[in-house]
Amino acid sequence: MTSTNGTRPLDGIRVADFSWFGAGPIAGRTLADFGADVIRIESEAKVDGLRLGEPIKPGKTGYNVCAYFNNYNADKRSFLLNMAAEDARDVAMRLIERSDIFLSNLTPRVIERWGLTYEELREVNPGIIAAYSPMQGLWGPHRDFLGFGAVLTPTTGISHLSGDPERKPVGVGTNYPDYAVNPGHTVVAILAALRHRRRTSQGQRIELAQIESVAATMGPSLLDYTANGNSQTRKGNQSSWMCPHAIYRCADDASGRERWVAIAIANDAQWESLCAVADGAAFAADDRFSTLLGRRRQEADLNASLSDWTASFDAAALAIHLQSVGVAASLVHDAEDMCEHDDHLAERRFYEYLDHPETDISLYDGPIVRLHETPGYLASPAPLFGEHTFEVATEVLGYSAEEVAELTASGVLS
Amino acid sequence: MTQAALDGVRILDLTSEMGWYCGKLLADLGADVIKLEPVGGDPARGRPPFWQAQPGRETSLRFWYFNANKRSATVDLGQHDGRWLLGELINTADIVVESWTASERARLAEQGLDPAAYMNERPSLIWVSITGFGLDGPKAGWEVTDIVAQAAAGIANLAGYPDGSPMRIAGNQAYIVAGLSAAQGALLALLQAEATGQGQHVETSMQEALSICQETSHLQWDFQESSRQRVGESYRIPGIGTYETQDGFIYSMVGIPGFGAPWTEVINWMDESGMAEDLTEPVYAETFANFNLRILLDPEEQAKHAPVLDRAQEVLTKFYASKTKTELYEAGQGRRLLIGQVATPADIGDSAHLAAREWWLELKQPTTLGQDDADLRFPGPPYRLSETPTSIRRPAPQVGEHNQEIWVDEVGIPAEDLIAFAGEGAV
Repeated sequence: MTSTNGTRPLDGIRVADFSWFGAGPIAGRTLADFGADVIRIESEAKVDGLRLGEPIKPGKTGYNVCAYFNNYNADKRSFLLNMAAEDARDVAMRLIERSDIFLSNLTPRVIERWGLTYEELREVNPGIIAAYSPMQGLWGPHRDFLGFGAVLTPTTGISHLSGDPERKPVGVGTNYPDYAVNPGHTVVAILAALRHRRRTSQGQRIELAQIESVAATMGPSLLDYTANGNSQTRKGNQSSWMCPHAIYRCADDASGRERWVAIAIANDAQWESLCAVADGAAFAADDRFSTLLGRRRQEADLNASLSDWTASFDAAALAIHLQSVGVAASLVHDAEDMCEHDDHLAERRFYEYLDHPETDISLYDGPIVRLHETPGYLASPAPLFGEHTFEVATEVLGYSAEEVAELTASGVLS
Repeated sequence: MTQAALDGVRILDLTSEMGWYCGKLLADLGADVIKLEPVGGDPARGRPPFWQAQPGRETSLRFWYFNANKRSATVDLGQHDGRWLLGELINTADIVVESWTASERARLAEQGLDPAAYMNERPSLIWVSITGFGLDGPKAGWEVTDIVAQAAAGIANLAGYPDGSPMRIAGNQAYIVAGLSAAQGALLALLQAEATGQGQHVETSMQEALSICQETSHLQWDFQESSRQRVGESYRIPGIGTYETQDGFIYSMVGIPGFGAPWTEVINWMDESGMAEDLTEPVYAETFANFNLRILLDPEEQAKHAPVLDRAQEVLTKFYASKTKTELYEAGQGRRLLIGQVATPADIGDSAHLAAREWWLELKQPTTLGQDDADLRFPGPPYRLSETPTSIRRPAPQVGEHNQEIWVDEVGIPAEDLIAFAGEGAV
C-alpha cells in the first residue's frame, strides 16, 4: 500500500510487547501496522534469537542487521529492560499501567519468575488485555514443554499429514505455525477483547496455547478420528476429491533452475478446458480419464502423462495460459519469483522497502489484510537494539533524565 | 451470564469453503452469523470426511466443523427476486463476508449486485472480500484453490524433498490463513466503524496473507540474491531432524545452545538406558560442549568433527528406534530437550494434555432426516478469553434451516411472500 499517513483503527492503543522470536512479535507487528504504539521489550541479558539469526546484511555484523528480526519488528519501539535486574519489575509495571495490551509468548515459568501473571498485571491496570501464547498453555501436564514452530508442526499433526506417504514426515521446511496461524489467532483474540473493553471497560486474560491454536486448524482430520475412529495419513499433493491435483515439473530455466506448476481440476468442465489446451497430449486423448472416477482410479498414470506434457513448457507461461481458460494453476514461486518477477505482487505493491540505518533499503512484508479506508502501513523500519530506551523511559514512563541514568547504571535499562 | 465479545454483531456469510474459517472465528466469539446458501445448499457440503463415512449433504464433518454456530438461509442469486432478497438481508447486517471468484463477482456486478453500492447506501457497512489474489492486479481474475495459493505464495517451494516435487502443507492451510486475515481485517474495521460510524471494504489476498509464511526465504533473496530451496531431510548434525521410533517418528531439535538442555543431557539419558555405547568417552562431551551456532551452520566446521558427529548420530538413531514416540516426547521434554512426537490425529485425539485442559467440546449434531444425532467430540477453540469465552452454541445448520426466522421474523418478508418466493425457487 502507498498510504503512509491517516488514521488507523488502533491509533492510541499501546502494546507492552514482552514477546520474542516469531509468533509473538508478528502479532505485535500487525497491531503496529494498524496504528498501535508497540514497545518491544529487549535486553542484553536475553537477546531475541532472531537478532542473531540469518539472513544478515552482507558485510555487516551486530544486533541490527538480521532481516529475520527486522521484518517482524518494523514500526515498533525497542526498549531495553533487564527483567532479571532488581527493580526492573517496577519499570515493567509502570509500562503495564500505561498500556492497553500486554503481549507475551514467554514460557509460564518465566512469566511467574518475572511476576507478569495476569493477576499481577491486573492489580496495576484492571483494564489490561493480557495475551499469553505459550507453547502448551499456562497449565496442564505438558505446561513446561519447550518448542518452536518446528516442534509444533509435528505435534499438531501437520507433519504426519503432509508430504510423500512413502517417505519420512520431515515437516514443511519452515516453522510454519509461527508466521500466520499463531499470530493471526492472537490478533483476532486481542481485537475481540478490545471491542469488549470499549463496551464494558473490562480487561481480560487471553490464553493461546500454541498447540491448541494449530490443532484448531486441523478440525476435519481430528473429527474424522473422534467421530469415526479414522486416523488419516499423508497423501502428498493428492486431494480427497479434486483430480488431477498436483505439482508438475516444467522445463528448467536457462540457469538450470527447476520450474514447477501447480494444477487443480475441480470439475469436468475444467478438465475439458485442460484437455483443449493440451491438444495432442496423451492424457487428453485417453478415455480412461474423461470422468472424475476414471481420473482418480488411475491417478498415477494420469500424473505421469501430465508430467510428460508439462515437461517442455515454461511454467509461468503455462500457468497464465491455463488460467486464461479457467483452470486453477500457478507457477511454484521461489523467493526470486516473489521478489523480482511476480508483476502482480509488484503492481499491488505488497512488499514494502524501508530505509534502515544499518541495512539500507530492505524488504518487509506488507500488512496482511487491506482496509480500503484506514489501511495499515509501516511508518518506520525495525528499531535498532534499544533505540528508544531513553524516549520511552522519559516520555511514556515519566522518568527524569537523572532517573534514567541511574536505572541505566544499575543495569535495569540494559 | 457473561457477554460475548462480539455480542450484537450481525454477519452475513456468503463464502465458499475458502472463506468458511473467517465466519467460524467470528461466530465462536459470539457474532450472529447467517450463512446464505444457494437453494441446493453450499456445494462444499459434499466434501469429505463424512460422518460414519457416509457421503451426503448433511453428513460432512468438514462442513460441520467450519459452520457450527452459523444459521442457514437459502436464496437463488440467479433470480432477480433472489438478489432483491439478498439486498434486504444485507440491510440488516453489520458485516458482509464473501469469497466470490472473479467471474462470479463480475456476473453479480452486471446483475446489479455491487458491494460499492451497498456501502454507499449505508456508510457503516463493512464488506469483506476474500480472494485468491486480491481485487486488482494482473492476477485478480485468477482461479484459486489451496494448492494453487500455496504455490503462488512461495511456501510450497520450501516444503518437501529436494529430489521430489514441491509440497502442499496439509489442512487447506491457505483457506485457514485467508480466513484469519479476513477476520483480523473485519475486526479492525469493526473497531473503526463502532468508533466513527464509518464502515469500509476489507480485502484479503490469499497469496499475500500466506506469503508471510515464507519465513526468511524472501528476506534472503533481498539481502543475498539467493533463493532458499526445500531441504527435506538433510542430515547435518546429530540430534536435529526426524527420527524413526518403535511406533512412528519424532522430530528432535536438541543441542542448540540456549534452547533447552545441552547435548550432553542426551548422552546422560542414553547412558541411564544403557545405550550410550562409546559416547561416554570424553571426546563426545568435549565436542558437544563446544557446540555453537557456527557448527550448526558451517559445513566446514562440521567436516572437522565428522567422525564424532557421525558416530553420535549412529548411536542416537539406535536409541530413538528402541523407544516409542510418546515415551521420547514425554521423557525428552522432561529433561528439557526439544523433542516433538510426529503426532497422528489419533495421538492428538488421545492426548492426555488436551484432555486435562478440557479442550474438546461435546456437540450433538443432527444428521440426515430420520437418523440419530451424531454425538461429537468437537475440536476446541484456538484461544481462551477469560471474560468472554468462545462457545459453540448450536451445531452446523441444515440447508435453509432458518429460512423462516431469518426472512420472515428478522428481515420482515411477509410469510405469504416467502411462500411465493419458495414457489418460484428463489428461496
